[in-house]
Amino acid sequence: MTELIERADTAADAPVVELSMQQAINRALRDLLTEDPEVLVFGEDVGALGGVFRVTDGLQKEFGDKRVFDTPLAESAIMGMAVGLAMNGWRPVPELQFDGFAYPAIDQIVNQVARMNYRTRGAAPMPITLRLPSFGGIQAPEHHGESLEALFAHTPGLKVAVPSGPADAYSLLLQSVRSDDPVVYMEPKARYWDRRPVRLREPSDPIGTSRIVRPGRHATLIAWGAMVHRCVQVAELAAEDGVDLEVLDLRWLKPIDAAGLAASVSRTRRAVVVHEAPLTAGLGAEVAALVTENCFRDLAAPVQRVTGFDVPYPAGPLEPQYLPTIDRVLFAVQRTLEY
Amino acid sequence: MAQENFTFTLPDLGEGLVEATVLEWQVAVGDVVERNAPLVEVETTKSAVVIPSPKAGRVVELHAEEEQVVPVGDPLVTFEVEAAADAPQAGIVGRVPAEEARPARRVRLRPPSD
Repeated sequence: MTELIERADTAADAPVVELSMQQAINRALRDLLTEDPEVLVFGEDVGALGGVFRVTDGLQKEFGDKRVFDTPLAESAIMGMAVGLAMNGWRPVPELQFDGFAYPAIDQIVNQVARMNYRTRGAAPMPITLRLPSFGGIQAPEHHGESLEALFAHTPGLKVAVPSGPADAYSLLLQSVRSDDPVVYMEPKARYWDRRPVRLREPSDPIGTSRIVRPGRHATLIAWGAMVHRCVQVAELAAEDGVDLEVLDLRWLKPIDAAGLAASVSRTRRAVVVHEAPLTAGLGAEVAALVTENCFRDLAAPVQRVTGFDVPYPAGPLEPQYLPTIDRVLFAVQRTLEY
Repeated sequence: MAQENFTFTLPDLGEGLVEATVLEWQVAVGDVVERNAPLVEVETTKSAVVIPSPKAGRVVELHAEEEQVVPVGDPLVTFEVEAAADAPQAGIVGRVPAEEARPARRVRLRPPSD
């Protein structure tokens, strides 16, 4: 891969570079492998091939096959191996190739990774970062697109990070891997090719901090992953109608930024949460509850949810019918404005 | 744009065929061919077929003479092709999403009075 950027942490004003999210994650992994000899990267096809999304491209060549290596096609074994490595002082960064294939590893993730620190009274922390290409937007076959964030956020012991673009992808991954707690780092597949000028920085916000992507005054759109981009599109269209929408990228789904949500919605008085996952018991319900608890007196309308439907995740060409569309989000905004 | 060589190997042309005989080359070294343009006619135990070019590029080497029997998987032809752009483009499951220039919408908003 082309050497594109300077190390961000050596200069407060790192140069601005054009980088896709794939390349930003690759860059973060390279910097982590460089700074910490205990970081290990492994998974199906992450070594010689460089990953199906080319995220680990060139890393095995640079760091050798003892630190960046291919595993058998066995997700439960990948996560089980991460547990054993973590107990022996390593800092594993396993990849499960697609989110649908996290299901075979759920026992290891929930019963071992998430609980080991608790079970051992802190004697065996699990500094594991599971990299999980997630969500939809590439019209993949069944099992290759899911939205598992509510499942992971509901599991005590796990942290959940979801970057929405290259700059956050870089700094959130640094934070995740350096954390001594296990983190599920969900990479929105639809944004892998999102290429934009970025300044790669050391993380400045603590874990669990949201980000205002676009300030506005009439309502707050709350989203994560690829839906952040969708909400920015909606906000730009709404601006043509004289409606000024704020877009809040949650970034961390566990811990969730209740204070950041409250600060934004207290100002705008209206909130619409947008996610790809099905409606029922989705994380939108958690966001709506937090906003209602913290902003009850300020709210001008009930919190609206725009989500996928309560159906199995549709494969291929049905996907655009399933994912929240611009019009569905605009309708929800109108409902809050007219309430 | 950088150039790189790509070698096309003889694919299995039926179910479990192990070889094919080259009947006639329809390209020569130095030719610039389009993707899907006729490349070579070969004969298997089932039929004679024309294999289309899998890439656009310049032919730099033909690996078999006419009448020669080529095992499946052996090199057939080497092309010089445009190297992939610096952004690593994966062969992925699914498709790379297209970025719409200006997203379409039908719903229009009315600003709140407050």
